[in-house]
Amino acid sequence: MTDTLLVTSTEEGIGKTAITIALAKAAQEAGKDVGYMKPKGTRLQSAVGKTRDEDPMLARELLDLDAEMHEMEPIVYSPTFISEAVRGREDPDEIRERVVENFDDLSADCDTMLVEGSDNLETGGIVDLTDADIAEALDARVLLVCGYATPGDADEMLAAADRLGDRLAGVLFNGVTESAMDELDNDVIPFLEGHGVPVFGALPRVQDLAGITIGDLARSLGADVLTSDASTDVHVERFTVGAMGGNKALDQFRRTRDAVMVSGGDRSEVQTAALEASGIKALLLTGGFRPASAVLGRAEKKNVPILLIQSDTRTTIDRVEDVLHSGRTRDTETVTRMQELLGDGVDVHSLLHLSE
Amino acid sequence: MGRLSTLFGPERVAVIGATESEGSVGRAITSNLLASFDGEVLAINPNADEVLGLPCHDGIEEVDSPGTVDVAVVVVPPHIAVDAIRQSGEVGIENVVVVTAGFGETGSDGAARERELREVAEEYDLNLVGPNSLGVMSTPAGLNATFGNEMATEGDISFMSQSGAFVTAVLDWAAERDVGFKDIVSLGNKAILDEGDFVAEWGEDPETDVILGYLEDIDDGEEFIRTAREVTRDTPIVLVKSGRTDAGASAAASHTGAMAGSERAYEAGLEQAGTLRVESVQELFDYAQILSGQPLPDGEEIAIVTNAGGPGVMTTDAVGDSDLSLAEFSDETFEELRETMPDAANIYNPVDIIGDAPGERFESALETVLADENVSMAVVVACPTAVLSFEELADVVVEQQRQSGLPIATTLMGGKSVGAGREILAEAGIPQYFDPARAVGSLDALTEYRNISEREFQAPATFDVDRDRAREVLQSASRRDTNRLGVEAMALLDAYGIPTPQGAVVDSPGDAEAVAEDIGEEVVMKIVSPDILHKSDIGGVEVGVPPAEVRDTYEDLVVRARNYQSDATILGVQVQEMADLETGTETILGMNRDPQFGPLLLFGLGGIFVEVLEDTTVRVAPVSEPEARDMLDDIESAPLLKGARGREPVDEAALVETVQRLSQLVTDFPAIVELDINPLVATPDGVKAVDLQLTLDQEEL
Repeated sequence: MTDTLLVTSTEEGIGKTAITIALAKAAQEAGKDVGYMKPKGTRLQSAVGKTRDEDPMLARELLDLDAEMHEMEPIVYSPTFISEAVRGREDPDEIRERVVENFDDLSADCDTMLVEGSDNLETGGIVDLTDADIAEALDARVLLVCGYATPGDADEMLAAADRLGDRLAGVLFNGVTESAMDELDNDVIPFLEGHGVPVFGALPRVQDLAGITIGDLARSLGADVLTSDASTDVHVERFTVGAMGGNKALDQFRRTRDAVMVSGGDRSEVQTAALEASGIKALLLTGGFRPASAVLGRAEKKNVPILLIQSDTRTTIDRVEDVLHSGRTRDTETVTRMQELLGDGVDVHSLLHLSE
Repeated sequence: MGRLSTLFGPERVAVIGATESEGSVGRAITSNLLASFDGEVLAINPNADEVLGLPCHDGIEEVDSPGTVDVAVVVVPPHIAVDAIRQSGEVGIENVVVVTAGFGETGSDGAARERELREVAEEYDLNLVGPNSLGVMSTPAGLNATFGNEMATEGDISFMSQSGAFVTAVLDWAAERDVGFKDIVSLGNKAILDEGDFVAEWGEDPETDVILGYLEDIDDGEEFIRTAREVTRDTPIVLVKSGRTDAGASAAASHTGAMAGSERAYEAGLEQAGTLRVESVQELFDYAQILSGQPLPDGEEIAIVTNAGGPGVMTTDAVGDSDLSLAEFSDETFEELRETMPDAANIYNPVDIIGDAPGERFESALETVLADENVSMAVVVACPTAVLSFEELADVVVEQQRQSGLPIATTLMGGKSVGAGREILAEAGIPQYFDPARAVGSLDALTEYRNISEREFQAPATFDVDRDRAREVLQSASRRDTNRLGVEAMALLDAYGIPTPQGAVVDSPGDAEAVAEDIGEEVVMKIVSPDILHKSDIGGVEVGVPPAEVRDTYEDLVVRARNYQSDATILGVQVQEMADLETGTETILGMNRDPQFGPLLLFGLGGIFVEVLEDTTVRVAPVSEPEARDMLDDIESAPLLKGARGREPVDEAALVETVQRLSQLVTDFPAIVELDINPLVATPDGVKAVDLQLTLDQEEL
């Protein structure tokens, strides 16, 4: 009998993909035959050929699966699909059937089946296929991944638990900052458990998972890396815009950490100010203006890479926001790191029903 | 003799990359050296047998006893420049001038090359000028190791420039104006030797009387201040620091790749270093000339002697604009002037000896006023008339200056009629201008330098503080996900002996009440969150809360903060005793770490209007007690502290000590990049730091 676990979340970009694949890896390492599916593809990339979600591609590669992409991702939740669904041109029953059929094929020889949800709990409602609906259709247990900032977040968790009902296996907190961890451990988790919501654990926020490397950022944006020696393996988690004079800018840059600074390529004083602030890990210059070569030399000296992009600052900021906000699972290292965190903080065996 | 004395006074100079190729830098340098250098010139180039008549060597190691070569000038292409420098180091040459460009100023590859160059220079402990330098010059030995087209004439001014082009321009200009130089260096990228090294060198050089500099940035401001402070006791330093405006700063950043730094920091830092900062090239050389040509005055009182009423008034206005004052003559002086001058003359300062004055009348008037002990200096203002020869007047001025030993500047307001007079004055080192304001400005600079040279430097005091405790407070913050700290870090101030009001940061209404009851009277309550900067703007501060209302107020503050920013990290609420604002004055004490000069202390009138009033002053830390005291006196609202309009004066000694203690704190912890105590409430009984905000550089910690 296949055990099916659907991993969903209350918000996007909270680490679903990394957790799903890491759990799948753990099950594989425990000697199980493992399958993966993401019924609704939302993280669409159309760089090569057909528009596809990139998560199944990654899962397929990391888990060494030979299932077909269209089976792993039966619904491409694209803007076109959504429009058509709203116009009533998609048949929910037919779609559900397709999902179930693909699932049956994929899970046929599997001991453990991991199903990755999409964005948040509401996604898919227009074709009656929210993650809760899918769990029902596939007879899956559900793991709810949540972030945590304030005690008020408990409202949302209770609502989500309500919605998932008996299918909810438990909650896993991810990316919890050190300052919030005590409150979560001491007050919030006991509260949730007291209200019948099981909690598997809370994973701390760690830098190499929270951020994206500068190299990956450059690839995602299609930016050129102008520096040649400055390391692009450093992680960034946020961005800051250099729009003011040099000294004002320096104050602002110093207040941030692990950030990429976005400004026009012609703003030398802002660029040199950014090179003075240790929290700025990279410069992203817009408008296709190359920086002064002396600035480039200075950046090499400071080991801070400079990226150049053709689009204007406004557009660039939107794209950077997108890249930083959407998940960042891009490689084996991320998944390995997530596996370590899960190993440290969660009873993975009982979560995956491996001992049975 | 300084470490760089052989760089400027070599006997053997090798040009690595010497060539005959027309229009090349290698040719220009070789021929410039051949034209005037007293010593031996060696040509190195494996691809030539002879360069401009010199036998050519394949490598530096091929010349006779290469270790006795004093200076190697490197002009080879960038990809082999570092090898040439290494070979020079290997054979034992100590001074290398790298003219070759194509280093950090050209981008990535260049930056890598410059890193390599720095490593080689450090390995062999080289005195390395450049790279990307125009070269060096020194007139006593006739050394012209530059690719400029003009050799300097001899003089006692040494000049450094971060722009090579500016050196050539200045030389061209100086050639017309009898401005002579001792040493000149084009700093280039300042990979090894920078402005501080040359200031130190020239400070020890008896032949250099004035140091001039054109700078776009200063590598290590703190070190520069230390060095310059010593040098300026004996040798004046006059600097143009460009990039004053935002647009200028951006242009400088493009040129050097370095952040220009804040203008305020430069102003304060260069002032503390004892340099005279000028804004234009004209001032640079006006000041240089008078500093090199005239003795220092012993006071601020100036006498004006003129044959022209209008220009006399203009000169008087210029004195009014300066830090100089018009001398008040003694009775004897008046008496003598009354006897010797015509009735129509004005014998009061400015002395107008009227339009028909011949040279003798100038002589008599000058002799009289210069003998007055209330006169420290004089300016002579003359317009051309039929009865006056400027040549004769020049002789009179030179003679009177020599006799009196007082500094004099002249304003001969003419064009071609100035003629020979100019040369006589220049010969005697007496400056001559068309514009009276320039003459007064130069004398003002001379006086300013006199004050600088008499400055007594006192070392900053060191207080007994709890450094470990302060470190703990900072480290506890680094465990959180922010660079910003607020009142939760008040213990930092306690550790450094800066008084804070009684209170605590608590995270429950019950604890808040307990703290308030402990204080026993009305309290101030503030939300504590690194994410909320302007607490009072969002209703995050309540003043005068009776202990009974503390619980409810706690709730209100947290709700307001949450409404303002739902994801803000809220650390709790601060409950604090009320500061005495009735008798107190709110001041601000802060620090912002400048990339070049380090910690820049700020003191001023505080409270919520600090950004509007901007009544603040800055100093580079560490500051001594007199410097801290000066900061108090500097601000416009200083009278408020001293008890304006019947108020009781605040405890200035406590305020000064707090400035010094903060100076020590920010000097001890480079990780603090920004810190504000606002307000620092000063009362007649002492001071209290009521609020605190700071930014940390986590990597520095």
